[in-house]
Amino acid sequence: MRTHFDVFGLPRAYDVDVPALEKQYRELSLLWHPDRVAQADARERLKALEGTTALNEAFKTLKDPVRRAFYLLKLHGIDLDREDAGAQKDMPLEFLEEVMELREALDGAMEKKDLARARSMATDVEARRKAALAEAAGTLRALEGGGGGADLVKKASHALGRVRYFTRFLEQVDAFEEESLS
Amino acid sequence: MSKNGYLQIHDPLKPKGQAVGIDLGTTNSLVAAVVQDKPRCVPVDEGDSLLLPSVVHYAKDGGVVVGARARRLAPEHPDDTIASVKRFMGRSPDDAETRKLGHYRFVPGAKVVRFDVAGGTPVTPIEVSGEVLRALKRRAEAHFSTKVEQAVITVPAYFDDAQRQATKDAGRLAGLEVLRLLNEPTAAALAYGLDKGSQGTYAVYDLGGGTFDVSILKLEDGIFEVKSTGGDSALGGDDFDRVIAQHVLQTMGVTEPSPSLVAEVLAASRKAKEALTDAPEVQLTVGSHTQTVKRADFDAWIQPLVQKTGLVCRRALKDAGVTAAELDGVVLVGGATRVPAVRRYVAEVFGREPLGDIDPDQVVAMGAAVLANLLTTVDRQDDVLLLDVIPLSLGLETMGGITEKLIPRNSTIPMAAAQVFTTFKDGQTGLDVHVVQGERELVQDNRSLARFTLSGIPPLAAGMARVEVRFSVDADGILSVSAKEQSTGVSQSITVKPSHGLTDEEIEQMLLDSIDHAEEDIQARQVREQRVDAERVLAEAERQLREHGDLLQEGERPAIDAGMARVRELMKGEDHLKLKEAVHTLDEASRPFIERVMNQAITQVVAGHSVEEY
Repeated sequence: MRTHFDVFGLPRAYDVDVPALEKQYRELSLLWHPDRVAQADARERLKALEGTTALNEAFKTLKDPVRRAFYLLKLHGIDLDREDAGAQKDMPLEFLEEVMELREALDGAMEKKDLARARSMATDVEARRKAALAEAAGTLRALEGGGGGADLVKKASHALGRVRYFTRFLEQVDAFEEESLS
Repeated sequence: MSKNGYLQIHDPLKPKGQAVGIDLGTTNSLVAAVVQDKPRCVPVDEGDSLLLPSVVHYAKDGGVVVGARARRLAPEHPDDTIASVKRFMGRSPDDAETRKLGHYRFVPGAKVVRFDVAGGTPVTPIEVSGEVLRALKRRAEAHFSTKVEQAVITVPAYFDDAQRQATKDAGRLAGLEVLRLLNEPTAAALAYGLDKGSQGTYAVYDLGGGTFDVSILKLEDGIFEVKSTGGDSALGGDDFDRVIAQHVLQTMGVTEPSPSLVAEVLAASRKAKEALTDAPEVQLTVGSHTQTVKRADFDAWIQPLVQKTGLVCRRALKDAGVTAAELDGVVLVGGATRVPAVRRYVAEVFGREPLGDIDPDQVVAMGAAVLANLLTTVDRQDDVLLLDVIPLSLGLETMGGITEKLIPRNSTIPMAAAQVFTTFKDGQTGLDVHVVQGERELVQDNRSLARFTLSGIPPLAAGMARVEVRFSVDADGILSVSAKEQSTGVSQSITVKPSHGLTDEEIEQMLLDSIDHAEEDIQARQVREQRVDAERVLAEAERQLREHGDLLQEGERPAIDAGMARVRELMKGEDHLKLKEAVHTLDEASRPFIERVMNQAITQVVAGHSVEEY
């Protein structure tokens, strides 16, 4: 299977030199973009469209550390974005308790239209998200470095499950904030 | 025939005639082309105006009038004269925005918006836009004296999938190959960036007649990368007119105005708004009613509308990951940015004076022309590239009416994403798929684009059948959806188009109908060309009569005068063959006289005088 790393000719790894990636993205876009071959025959244009679509997907995934982490996990067989997301049910019990606690607190703040409370919760959750992402990054580095197997995958999956939840939580606060201001 | 016309005809690299850029605006539309390396707008309406009012009048005899003439017909025929049709594009009849706009007669119960106009057949917004595009095409053809078949058409960056599809269909209806749908702020940046050689990060603030867009772009070495975009596809200068009109009707004490009165008050309000750009107060007159409108009052009235744009700008900056202070400049686009209160507000939001040194009306069409030219260039040597984004997230409905985003907003296009679904019942053979666009969590708050059922899934235990749904967004920002059943390898691929447009069959039929009109189109061009010819001959005849009337012989003058009168008369009509004949007759009638003039000139040169004396 051709991976997003293959599109850029990069070795599979958690760490990516983003400025270099960006430069390469621009060079490849100039070569592959459909607009650059608008006068070519239909086959060539379709190739350009497919190539550029793959390039844009790969760039979007690799330039962002969070997306990159989820993608690496997917390459290890766990797709947290899948709709049924069996993996999500697999989360440890204490995390589910944490989720319920946060959920209740945010619902309370939103009910009372307490923007200040929601914001301070967001600051706290942002820190938890960062910590979870750092843990995921460390685990994925170890995994890609060739160390360990199923245990590390599970650890990375739990860390990213938390990242995913915290991100959604922050999005909700954002939406609440926008609603309150408008 | 224009000077440029000759060049274009003989350009072997352009077998399809002149490629153009079209700004299909809410209030006005423009067409531009790159001629001798520079984008230029083309005159398209009365008095060589570069702006064609986007107004279409349907006459009782089935005729169609587009532009300033149509706009003048609006107060008298409010139901048969469609203005601001762009605001209806891709919207359904029960859309809140549609209802807000309407004094028109809608065909009730229809799945798409249909205006009940004079001339028999109700028309859809796509057809009305098609008429505007067709008028632009014809007038550009007359200007260049060559075919115009390929165009880049601009759309608001914030247009959703249905609105984009509708615009593309309108282009097809007008007989145009749509090379690309280009986002308006990106078009402006292209015209601006290439003209000024700019580098850095810019915000484009585009407030048009009916739509608002803001885009944050990074310009570097010819690459225009859109970082984020945001907007409101139902906010523009039109709304300023409406606010004034509301206050005027209130002052007049009218609570239930007739459609013609509304049209009249709106026209007066638009004039007042434009005048208030330079004057602190203006007199507004409707019939016998006159009132003073002060700029300060106007500013206060529109303040809530203007402030709506600020929120959008802040979010776009946040999405792009830049602060206002980090920008290298802010570019103003769209006629409504002429309003001083808008300029002040933009300066406040971005903390700097905006740039506006390219005409805000023309810059979008000019950018579109630049791209049209690039896309029709064989063997490109430049390194210009636009990397644009989709404005609104695309997703699917999941359990409980929740939106699952597949492609988030501000993703660079073309883009694709896939999601795997599993069956939740034993033996389940069908799966309902609901495609939506928007940012809200609940499906009902987003735009519904398409609904379909995937059938033919092999009956397996719950969770065993895996169906991959794949979204692909092309470089025009238009979505197609395909699905594949993975467990058995049975691939069922379908492509879905939004449900609010016209079907392909309907478009085909309309295209067939328009071929009947193609004969008329050619005729229209011939009339136009013959008129130019006739004008030249008339001017020449008048000049010779004025300067050399002494050389006329007995009985010649009445024949020449009669010939000229006949030509003038036929120039008003549409019969180019008769006009050609009349020009020929005039030529014949004046020939002996003209020969005498020339002979005298030659004789005098021989006698040592120079021609210049005459």
